[in-house]
Amino acid sequence: MQAQLLWRTLPSLVLGLLFLSMPAMGSCSDKYPELLGQLQKQADFMQHTNTLLDLYIRSQGLDKNGLKEHCRERPGAFPSKDALQRLSRRVFLRTLDTTLGHVLLRLAALEQDIPKAQDLEMLSVVKLNIRGFKNNIHCMAQLLPGSSETTEPTPTSPGASPSPTPTLDTFQRRLEGCRFLHGYHRFMRSVGQVFREWGKSLSRSRRHSPHQGLLKGARRMQLSGRNKRLMPRVQLAPGSHRGAPGG
Amino acid sequence: MLTLKIWIVQALFIFFTTESVGELLDPCGYIKPESPIVQLGSNFTAVCVLKEKCMDYFHVNANDIFWKTNHVTIPKEQYTIINKTASSVTFTDISLLNIQLTCNIRTFGQIDQNVYGIRIISGLPPEKPTNLSCIVNEGKKMMCQWDPGRETYLETNFTLKSEWATEKFADCKTKRDTPTSCTVDYSPVYFVNIEVWVEAENALGKVTSDHINFDPVDKVKPSPPHNLSVSNSEELSSILKLTWINSSIQGFIGLKYNIQYRTRDASTWSQIPPEDTASTRYSFTVQDLKPFTEYVFRIRCMKEDGKGFWSDWSEEASGITYEDRPSKAPSFWYKIEPSHTHGYRSVQLIWKTLPPFEANGKILDYEVTLTRWKSRLQNYTVNDTKWTVNITNDRYIATLTARNLVGKSNAAVLTIPAYDFQATRPVTDLKAFPKDNMLWVEWTAPNESVNKYILEWCVLSDKAPCIQDWQQEDGTVHRTYLRGNLAESKCYLITVTPVYADGPGSTESIKAYLKQAPPSKGPTVRTKKVGKNEAVLEWDQLPVDVQNGFIRNYTIFYRTIIGNETAVNVDSSHTEYTLSSLTSDTLYMVRMAAYTDEGGKDGPEFTFTTPKFAQGEIEAIVVPVCLAFLLTTLLGVLFCFNKRDLIKKHIWPNVPDPSKSHIAQWSPHTPPRHNFNSKDQMYSDGNFTDVSVVEIEAANDKKPFPEDLKSLDLFKKEKISTEGHSSGIGGSSCMSSSRPSISSSDENESAQNTSGTVQYSTVVHSGYRHQVPSVQVFSRSESTQPLLDSEERPEDLQLSAFTYMVLVRWGRGIMRLARKHMMKTGHREAK
Repeated sequence: MQAQLLWRTLPSLVLGLLFLSMPAMGSCSDKYPELLGQLQKQADFMQHTNTLLDLYIRSQGLDKNGLKEHCRERPGAFPSKDALQRLSRRVFLRTLDTTLGHVLLRLAALEQDIPKAQDLEMLSVVKLNIRGFKNNIHCMAQLLPGSSETTEPTPTSPGASPSPTPTLDTFQRRLEGCRFLHGYHRFMRSVGQVFREWGKSLSRSRRHSPHQGLLKGARRMQLSGRNKRLMPRVQLAPGSHRGAPGG
Repeated sequence: MLTLKIWIVQALFIFFTTESVGELLDPCGYIKPESPIVQLGSNFTAVCVLKEKCMDYFHVNANDIFWKTNHVTIPKEQYTIINKTASSVTFTDISLLNIQLTCNIRTFGQIDQNVYGIRIISGLPPEKPTNLSCIVNEGKKMMCQWDPGRETYLETNFTLKSEWATEKFADCKTKRDTPTSCTVDYSPVYFVNIEVWVEAENALGKVTSDHINFDPVDKVKPSPPHNLSVSNSEELSSILKLTWINSSIQGFIGLKYNIQYRTRDASTWSQIPPEDTASTRYSFTVQDLKPFTEYVFRIRCMKEDGKGFWSDWSEEASGITYEDRPSKAPSFWYKIEPSHTHGYRSVQLIWKTLPPFEANGKILDYEVTLTRWKSRLQNYTVNDTKWTVNITNDRYIATLTARNLVGKSNAAVLTIPAYDFQATRPVTDLKAFPKDNMLWVEWTAPNESVNKYILEWCVLSDKAPCIQDWQQEDGTVHRTYLRGNLAESKCYLITVTPVYADGPGSTESIKAYLKQAPPSKGPTVRTKKVGKNEAVLEWDQLPVDVQNGFIRNYTIFYRTIIGNETAVNVDSSHTEYTLSSLTSDTLYMVRMAAYTDEGGKDGPEFTFTTPKFAQGEIEAIVVPVCLAFLLTTLLGVLFCFNKRDLIKKHIWPNVPDPSKSHIAQWSPHTPPRHNFNSKDQMYSDGNFTDVSVVEIEAANDKKPFPEDLKSLDLFKKEKISTEGHSSGIGGSSCMSSSRPSISSSDENESAQNTSGTVQYSTVVHSGYRHQVPSVQVFSRSESTQPLLDSEERPEDLQLSAFTYMVLVRWGRGIMRLARKHMMKTGHREAK
């Protein structure tokens, strides 16, 4: 049991150390609400399938003959919302950073299957956005109190596994990519919900003491497991994200 | 083999040639530093080092080095001999941007030779870039710009650097043509703070601007909303609904909007209160608009929190609000037409079309009602804006309403007074004046309550009739402007009529100009009367068509040919003026200018000459002179008359008139000589004492009687016998003759008789002025000279004859006097 715990903890610990030991180049914002708002908006934006999945489905020809129906998230590929909500803020951030690192790796692998230069350009923009998100995670981690608190386990992330085995045929590989991206968008939606919880706890804590509220909120996040319903989002116009970051 | 030889020869030639050229090009020394870039205002030292080989060859050392900048030798004071081979030169406070520096030696004491040369480039290090700012045009990459600072005179590179906390981005190098801005080559990532700064670097240094840290989403300039459309509502004529499509940026950020609108013909925009459009939306309903009015809309957006930039304005879209019933009754007035017969009047009811903002829709028709006093109402539907009707001389009430798709306007009511109605109660203090390019009319209201005022106006012209336009004003108004297409420089006759409940009041009129201008023509001046020292000028008033304004005054300019011009101002009410103090007998040039408030215009020049004498002056001189002459003459005549005997004695003594002689008295029976004692007494003081008188009574105009002819024969005989002592009559010899003579009418005979020493001239009676003489008379001359030209020229002959006749008649008169005297004497003697 202990060995299993160690095995599960060690990679996270290493990544956490790497994460924290990143050389500080540009300065991070020291305004927690602002940074939280940025993270939330990024997550909200990235959850939309039209930013990545739709592009992939279209480029891979999976939008015909009902193939789209088969593009469902593979269970366990990404942490569930409940799992994320159970994590402490620091672990949550670390998990998020790790998962997004894997997404980047997977996207680099998917690039090979995207023939169109325009789609590739879109994909590179998505990757840049994910890197930007990771940058904000880094900054948020610096703002959290007790940054040395890294003992919590990180949930297993199937996304951390390398790209599908080479034995899969092209169709299966494409379908797997589609499922992965489907999971990615779902994951980002869950991340957005978690950050929204953070925001709510921030506004509650502001009524008392901002700093204390932040700590309490962080603690409560670890305990909270309620499944909150997402606020209905404004439907974007078709192709409206073509001009989105990097668009 | 041959080819190989040729190749070797060529190779050797090239080798030796290269060697020799290398020797020649090998410099005698060098300068350190090789390519210096120096800061303006700083000091700089260059060192020239000679090569040993060269020194030996030319027998020179560092002392022989001299420096030149841009071909000008540098003073020795700036040199420093470092050692035998090296000499340095130092410049302080370099101010030139580009200096050519050469190291030279003087060989053999006289030949200057250039050793080495370098180019010193001067400039300044870059200043710290300031005012760094970035913008993210939606759909494009981030562009930053800055102020580069002072001119460096050197090639300066600006690099835009950017990074996240975890990642550096590629540098953005400025292009040569845009050194103060740079567009990064990566897409902006919203919601991630980025740090940006600029590095400026040239040969003299590198400097970095302040870092700015921002979220690119706060620097966004969104694309404007598109597909803006406008729709109206049949239920509400005062609203229009706008819909649009937001730009894709609204997927990331909330937007706020500016919505502006204006009517189609307006130039200024009105804006919806920003607080009403402070959040993301896709439509907006604009209220409080005018019915049936076309509005134009435009919209722009920016980030909800005000960070970033406003988008450009969207394309304009327009829509028309729905109709509403006319909000006002039309202006309503009438004209009584001149013909008035059989107790009826022809009345033309006129009204104005409602302006769109009052019509509130398309006016379909007008409804006119006419009510005679205590009689039933008559309805008429009219599509035009005038309607002529014959009415009796009674008082009528007319009403007018305008109708559109939605409803009818309120009624305009007009009282047409009875035929014998006497209008009274006019407005007072009527004024008209231009202001703000409009012609304003102002008046003082009468004491009674006025329903409305009617303003009528027309252009006064000598060439065209006064075609009236009109407008209506409310009864509370006492100042308005004329809402017509008024022209400048036209004289408007404006009439204001107050309209009371019982009919129109008296009218008041005034003339006015929207804008005056100088007259088109100047007045034509002429003289009415010109005196020795004054001239009365007159002119006609300018026609109203050329006045272009109110003629305020005239100026008369007059001058002589050589004199200065004199100007006289004359009031505009005058049409004549007297120029005084003029010089007599002088040509004057005069012209006249008429002035309005905006300037004047000269008329044609007119010239006149003053007379030398004033009127009556000549008479004043001539009359006295004539009177004096007349008086003198009279006195002379009187004197002569009194002294006539004396004068006669001296000037023209009595000469017997042969024509008055009577031959009958001069018969052979009569003693040839008369003893005229009395005559002797009478001519006692002259030589006229021995006179024989022969009278031929028919000499002039009577045929001679036979007795006379008979006597004449006798006379001829006598004459022949007395030829030796008879004297002729004529010329100056008349006084010398003491004996009478007679002429014969027979020319031939005369010619025979005068063949000796005596010649006879022919005397033509009454030959003067073509009178045919009745009788030819001959006279004898004592002169021995020929008759000269008079004999050959008949006219001279006639003149001579005339002279003679005068003398004869004169003598005849004298002779009559003498004869009368003698008769008296004879009578006395006989007694």
